Amino acid sequence: MSDPATTLVTDSADRLQTPAALVPKRSLLRQLVRDRTALAGLIIIVVMVGAALAAPWIAPHDPNEQDVLNRYATPSLENPLGTDNLGRDELSRLLHGARISLLTTLAVGVAILTIGIAVGTIAGFGGGFIDGLLMRLVDVLLALPVLLLGLAVTGMLGPGLLHLAIGVTAVAWVEYARLMRGLVLAVRERPFVESARALGLPGRRIAVRHVLPNIISPVIVVGTLRTGQLLLTLSALSFLGLGVQPPTAEWGAMLSEGQNYLASAPQLMIYPGAAITIAALGFNLLGDGLRDVLDPTLR
Amino acid sequence: MRQHGGFGAPVLLAGLAVLLIASACGGDEDEAARTDPSGPQTLIIGAREDGYTTEGNEADVGQYPLNANIFEGLVRMDANYEVQPALATEWEFKPPNAWTFTLREGVQFHDGTPFDAEAVKYTFDRVAKTGGGTPGFGKDSTKIIDDYTVEITPVFENRRLIEQLVHPSYSIIAPDSNPGDEPIGTGPFKFVDYSEQEQIVVERNDQYWGEKPTLEKITFRFLPEPNARRLALEAGEVDLIVDVPREAVADLEAKGFAIVQSDVGAYDALYLNISGEKGYTLLQDPAVRHAIGYAIDRDALVEGLFEGLAGPEQTMIPSRLLGEQNAAEIDGYAYDPQQAEQLLEDAGWTEGADGVREKDGRRLELELINGFPSAQAHGAVPEFLQDQLGEVGIEVKIVKMPDTASYEERLASGEGDIWIEQGSQNDANPVFLPALLFWTEGLFGDIGYQPLFAPGGETDRLIIDALANPDSEETKALTAQAMSELVDEEAIVLPMAGIFRIDAMSEEVGGYEPQPSALQVRYDGAFLARD
Amino acid sequence: MIAYIARRIAFLVPTWLGVTLLAFFLSTFAGGDPARNYFLRTRGRQPSPRELVIVRERFDLDKPLPERYLTWLGGAVRGDLGDSFSTGRPVTQELLRRFPATLELAAAGTVVAVVLAIPVGVLAALRRNSILDQLTRGGAMFGASIPPFWLALLLIILFSVQLQLLPSAGRGGLDHLILPALALGLGEAAIIARLTRSSLLEILREDYVMTARAKGISERRVIARHALRNALGPVVTEIGLVFGYLLGQAAIVEIIFVWPGVGRLAVEAIGQRDYNMIQGFVVFAGTVYILISLAVDLVYLWLDPRVTLVRQARPAAS
Repeated sequence: MSDPATTLVTDSADRLQTPAALVPKRSLLRQLVRDRTALAGLIIIVVMVGAALAAPWIAPHDPNEQDVLNRYATPSLENPLGTDNLGRDELSRLLHGARISLLTTLAVGVAILTIGIAVGTIAGFGGGFIDGLLMRLVDVLLALPVLLLGLAVTGMLGPGLLHLAIGVTAVAWVEYARLMRGLVLAVRERPFVESARALGLPGRRIAVRHVLPNIISPVIVVGTLRTGQLLLTLSALSFLGLGVQPPTAEWGAMLSEGQNYLASAPQLMIYPGAAITIAALGFNLLGDGLRDVLDPTLR
Repeated sequence: MRQHGGFGAPVLLAGLAVLLIASACGGDEDEAARTDPSGPQTLIIGAREDGYTTEGNEADVGQYPLNANIFEGLVRMDANYEVQPALATEWEFKPPNAWTFTLREGVQFHDGTPFDAEAVKYTFDRVAKTGGGTPGFGKDSTKIIDDYTVEITPVFENRRLIEQLVHPSYSIIAPDSNPGDEPIGTGPFKFVDYSEQEQIVVERNDQYWGEKPTLEKITFRFLPEPNARRLALEAGEVDLIVDVPREAVADLEAKGFAIVQSDVGAYDALYLNISGEKGYTLLQDPAVRHAIGYAIDRDALVEGLFEGLAGPEQTMIPSRLLGEQNAAEIDGYAYDPQQAEQLLEDAGWTEGADGVREKDGRRLELELINGFPSAQAHGAVPEFLQDQLGEVGIEVKIVKMPDTASYEERLASGEGDIWIEQGSQNDANPVFLPALLFWTEGLFGDIGYQPLFAPGGETDRLIIDALANPDSEETKALTAQAMSELVDEEAIVLPMAGIFRIDAMSEEVGGYEPQPSALQVRYDGAFLARD
Repeated sequence: MIAYIARRIAFLVPTWLGVTLLAFFLSTFAGGDPARNYFLRTRGRQPSPRELVIVRERFDLDKPLPERYLTWLGGAVRGDLGDSFSTGRPVTQELLRRFPATLELAAAGTVVAVVLAIPVGVLAALRRNSILDQLTRGGAMFGASIPPFWLALLLIILFSVQLQLLPSAGRGGLDHLILPALALGLGEAAIIARLTRSSLLEILREDYVMTARAKGISERRVIARHALRNALGPVVTEIGLVFGYLLGQAAIVEIIFVWPGVGRLAVEAIGQRDYNMIQGFVVFAGTVYILISLAVDLVYLWLDPRVTLVRQARPAAS
């Protein structure tokens, strides 16, 4: 799907004049912090990921501890967000759920970026047959929406968190591959690359030391922008029953269970949904901020 | 054994009235008092998912699983699991294996064809083509003696035929008709329209041989999601819904809807795999199986997961069918986690570092397969069990199957330790379920359950006896003993709760009786009072 | 121009073939026995060994994999995608029967998105950095973060359970369409609003707009005649892409609202391991998407022929 992010990437490619064209890392971070939306996003993410990592220590209860006679309890000191249909503490489940939802999202995000960048680079530099083959594969995978393809692959593999991660990773890397390839192709003709080649430097060296560092940043920006969407996709598949199995707490799965009690205990469904929304919001804000920093004219 | 049926409409009417009064006294709750029908008599019912087959000889539109009152069988079952005459007025068993039926005269199908022995032969020959069903119809089993007399000889010795014929799958269809194209029966309502997955519509049969229904039209809307049914009722889109989710009951009552409940007619039970095949050997040890029985707090289960709306029975077969005295043969298990832990300790299972028991380097990890009739039907029960068994050191991994067929597939492959099922008693044959599932030979042969759950020995002897016994009272007693073997002695079957049906309707609906078996629900006494 | 179109269409063929390969390949992943599965579903009992053999032959399951693929592919090209393992009925028939429902949903979702988003986006661009603009951007950000399935459930709680205004399930009249369309469309509305806004902003800075202003043409005319029309270019193609995107997202909404569309069919087929249905669905969806992206490209071409030439010069991502 095209959007300002993609335009940004292609524009960036055009604007590259010298190897060290992009803003050095340190002032990037400072610029980021000064931007209000990015700051808000960063705070949200840091807090949530922090809470997720610290869950085993800060959660008031064992997330799987049942107390059936105390089900649907209203919020209290004992259970700050009440209990679910089996009497388990909702807050503890949300915190532990965060670990799985957020960390899986980050892991898959890193994986698809890595694969996408690698494949795109190979295609861009390889040219000819390799390029054609890889891009055909990309086209095929892009011909279908990630959700449906991910659903099909994960459905075939069977339920389980690992299968979910593999299923989505297997189909979601294509966008980055195409982006990366485009960037590589755009940059290949640049003078500094020509001169490096004229100097007799081997292809791979040119790629890794000179070209890559310059064009990787836009791809990473897109990656960040897409992380929110990735979280939503993973949660959606989890909601459909693929992913963790009971009794493990995870936001998408909790939402799915809560659906059964829609009319009598809607809070079971509201909490995990809100958690997903806030986390996705954090990623989106951060991604937006990153993009603003790189190209303020689009603000 | 000889049975006398009624002599036509007046006696049937009286019979109906007696039944209505009997079941009203039998414990239906909260049936609001409505007296006279008024206003348009069109009832809209929120039914469960559409399970009709539309192709071939298995087509059963209007019959099963939703009995739309289009068809009737030779006999039917009342709320006490007693067999009552319907299209047959008399029947007699002639040893060794033949049943003679005297058919009701003066009955017509909805298209005007007269009902007679032709129709019966056509119906049962059709059943024979698809395998013969539980009664065992073969292609020569049904013989026409004269226009109103039929003789049936099942392909195997079957004393329980009469109790099995109450099932709507054996209801009589018009000769040369096919329910998949157009359902033509003799029932109080006739077929109007069927849209797959959406609804089936029936209207009053003014030529009905019995008492004509008050309702003019019934629309059954297929709403697979219990919550969707509940919302449809609240929004006034339907007048009556079946199988209300238990957490909704209090809420609906407060909103002025009438809640009615039937007697226990279904069960929730665990089956434990004793085959030892494919590495699933942990449950071959009876100590482990009994421990599981003691580890479950059934009171908490009924209270917490069924909102108190289930029976704590551990008989699996409804005690109403077995008879109270027979049912008492089955002890079941009290909640005694200490006893469970003791049994496990004595058998050599010691608690490991993470709380899960171990023996000879192997962890006590069991796989629980959830999916019959569907995973949703069990709600949070598997997770609850997971927790309970965890308390005594047994780790349970839940495997969810998306639907019945996947579950059956898994069953055929034998990969699983504990199998959780919900089933109902859908005919009057008390020994049907044990014979089908836990008898080595199997009522239908090996349908996948036998290798995993049939212990043989005493259980087999009791089941065989029960099947062949001419005295139905004896059959009930023998069945209870067989269940006691399975539950108390062998601990292969662990029933957890007795389930009754809960339906809800608007205040305007009257004369509706939920039955322990949903397949036997009749709408000819129902009416609407819309004023 | 014609050459470009012809080239584009020619490229589609290997892509489509690739989709069929992918679809077929997926089914080799899964376990289970489709023949037994089919028998269980249609007859309600386990098959005997003989019956199993008969079913296997019926579905060509006894043939080697490459041969099965080619037979199936041959059928697929003619529109015959085999028979469902769940019902025995032709896959193509099932898909075509339920596709209109999904179309309806995606179209309604797109309408919701567009009707909400474009006016808001335009206004936000015109009143840049005002409260409205801030709210729009905030709202858009929020809309892109809400999981559509959660939104759907929230809408049900509000409108079906609490207010009892709208039905919560099934396809019927307009009232049945409102909630699912909202659930689908609101998320996309966010994206379209932002795109409209930024696109319009960019145009408003362009030279020819400055020229028009300098010439003394009224502000309103400037906007209406020059800016909007050009700004709408990317927006229109975005709408096409959104429609395609919604076709994919519709699956979850269809499940929640028990909508009789293809998405729900596909999810059920996956649960039931109905390989023929899954394969058929992937090919079907792939075909639809390829056609949509082709259509979008052509529309863009028609709206702005400059783009092609620029694109041809740049070997960038296309």
